[in-house]
Amino acid sequence: MRSFIEASVSGRVPAESFDELGVAILTYQAEHVPAYQRLLARSGRHPADGADIRALPAMPSEAFRLARIAAHPPSDDVVVFRTSGTTAAARGEQALSTTATYECSVIAWGRWALFFDEPKPLGAILLAPRDNPDSSLHFMLQRFAARFASSTHYMQTTATSPIGASALERVCEGAWRAGVPAIIMGTSFAFVHALDALGGRKLPLPRASRAMHTGGFKGRSREVSPSALRSQIAQTFALSENAVVGEYGMTELSSQRYEATLRAEQGLEMSSARQGVFVPPPWMRVVAVDPESLLPVAPGEPGILRFEDLANVDGALAIQTADRGRCSGGGVELMGRSPGALPRGCSLALEDLLENG
Amino acid sequence: MSGAFSFEERERRVHSILAAARRLADSRDPLGQEARRALPAATGLSEAGVELGLSAHLETSVSPDALAQLIARAGSAPSVHVVLSANVFVGAVRAIALALAAAPSVFVRASRREEVMAPLLHRALREADRGVDFEMASTLEPRPGDEVHVYGRRETIDAIRASVPQGVRVRAHGPGIGVAIVDAQRDVMPRAAALLAGDIVPFDQRGCLSPRLALVAGSADEVDAFGLRLAEALEQRQQVIPRGVLGEEERHELTRYRDTMQAIGKYHAGSSFSVGIDLAPRGILLPPTGRNIHVARLEFQGDLTRLLGPLRAAITCVGHMSASPLAALAMTLARGARGLPLGLMQRPPLDGPVDLREMV
Repeated sequence: MRSFIEASVSGRVPAESFDELGVAILTYQAEHVPAYQRLLARSGRHPADGADIRALPAMPSEAFRLARIAAHPPSDDVVVFRTSGTTAAARGEQALSTTATYECSVIAWGRWALFFDEPKPLGAILLAPRDNPDSSLHFMLQRFAARFASSTHYMQTTATSPIGASALERVCEGAWRAGVPAIIMGTSFAFVHALDALGGRKLPLPRASRAMHTGGFKGRSREVSPSALRSQIAQTFALSENAVVGEYGMTELSSQRYEATLRAEQGLEMSSARQGVFVPPPWMRVVAVDPESLLPVAPGEPGILRFEDLANVDGALAIQTADRGRCSGGGVELMGRSPGALPRGCSLALEDLLENG
Repeated sequence: MSGAFSFEERERRVHSILAAARRLADSRDPLGQEARRALPAATGLSEAGVELGLSAHLETSVSPDALAQLIARAGSAPSVHVVLSANVFVGAVRAIALALAAAPSVFVRASRREEVMAPLLHRALREADRGVDFEMASTLEPRPGDEVHVYGRRETIDAIRASVPQGVRVRAHGPGIGVAIVDAQRDVMPRAAALLAGDIVPFDQRGCLSPRLALVAGSADEVDAFGLRLAEALEQRQQVIPRGVLGEEERHELTRYRDTMQAIGKYHAGSSFSVGIDLAPRGILLPPTGRNIHVARLEFQGDLTRLLGPLRAAITCVGHMSASPLAALAMTLARGARGLPLGLMQRPPLDGPVDLREMV
């Protein structure tokens, strides 16, 4: 798998095709992931029968909250990433027996979207704490910092502590004085907290700086539209709007999708380089499917998103989410989550019932 | 409050709306016939589903004790403005009874999706000509001091709260679910399954008391067998009371629920129901409405707190067969929820709103 990633980002033809490798991984998962075995048994299909990957069932993302979805025993876990804990309910988990493939995927596609020009030196400003061991996002940010940055600054003491405006000012002013470009990264709600803490003050970063934000708000901050957030981040840190790159990731997946706006701004032509369009890596397929039949919809038509991530070796290669979106031109445009079964009033979908906290 | 709106007057007003409801329950009455013609299209329920609601779940009488409680819970206001939801059509009677007990002047705004029950009750009251009436309203225009009783979705409640003038009290009855507690050590399991099926079927499970989750204490085999029994009981009910039409989102959610349960547990489905069984639950997956129930095993007493805790604010009703410690614990967790015997989860006494969470 790692050789597939390395070949595809360096422009070489991988030794195995996406489908060949996908079938091999799915066959392995069919043997070792009990939940996938059951799903296949119900569907009457099996990857070893030569079925098209797209015709095989995908693991619903909710399953990661309710059961262990892994091909290895818990004793072989080196890390368990968990979905963010905005509620007291069970959290989704992805257990990994090695982080090597995950890291390979993260670095390769992060380089493509954010670090392709390899600015040196580069400061990393993380709107995050130093430690957050069960967060896949945190793992990714730390790997970015270790691989691409010459200095790293954490803007939170713990995952729940506030982002200090004075610390952020100090770091940004230091970068400005030294003329060292920086990348500032965090969740969308962390950016909102940072902007609120700054109260409108501007902290210009040197030329070639950039920002990466990800995820929704989940009740953790006031809601801001993606375009407004992009604009506010750009204005606050004196960045072009195209240098504010959105990332779309999921704990259950090992590969990320990015807006290609920074690449476009630096002259790397991208047909899908629009704000709000997220580009997956060559080792991931995204398909919009009909929410009832789960069959693919026509390109450009809205559906719920199915992911086939070759880097998800340890768990489920194919994952069916409730995220609504449309796929075209190599990118995916998000349209929010599929609403719950709420057409007739007072009985509720689980998400609406859960207590915050 | 003046003598003109005495306790006795309030009682009389409640009895008047119940008399109106009796006409709708009566299939020989012209108003009852009109209800039976119009409600299937308005509610999406089958004709048999509408008949079940009218004949078994429409409130047509009240005990003296329950009536006294209803009047106490109704409070007092110069005017009450009732905003009805569409999901459980018989709910109009209780909502209007509460309003009539609370205020001499009552305005009722029906849901755009279900404009049958309130106008028929209005006509029945007018025809009775006993000096008890309410106004049908297309807009909501409360004045300071008035109350608004709103039933329905959170978005509706939030919008109304934001729109009313200062000095208007909004009493909101929002979304919720019913939860059944079954204990293999104490309960007769086949009987519990049959009773629970009887609670799931009315209104195709779209009411805020409708059970969507059954927590079953017992061995894996016992819980598994309970799930199968429940599926059989739902299939039997389907023969008598067919399910109505599922909404698009219900169908979409059911696809996800089915696939998730097939992966992590067991899934039994018939032509118009499904039962998902999780024998080792880490959390709860709530199925969509439309006669779908999630059965989760309780291996230890602590499982109940762990599984129910995140949902507790949304629980309107705890159904149980025996007064077990588990049922008591569930009631403690779900403050404000009604405790009702299995088989009667959709038939709470007429002692206030069905959803008592606001009263805590």
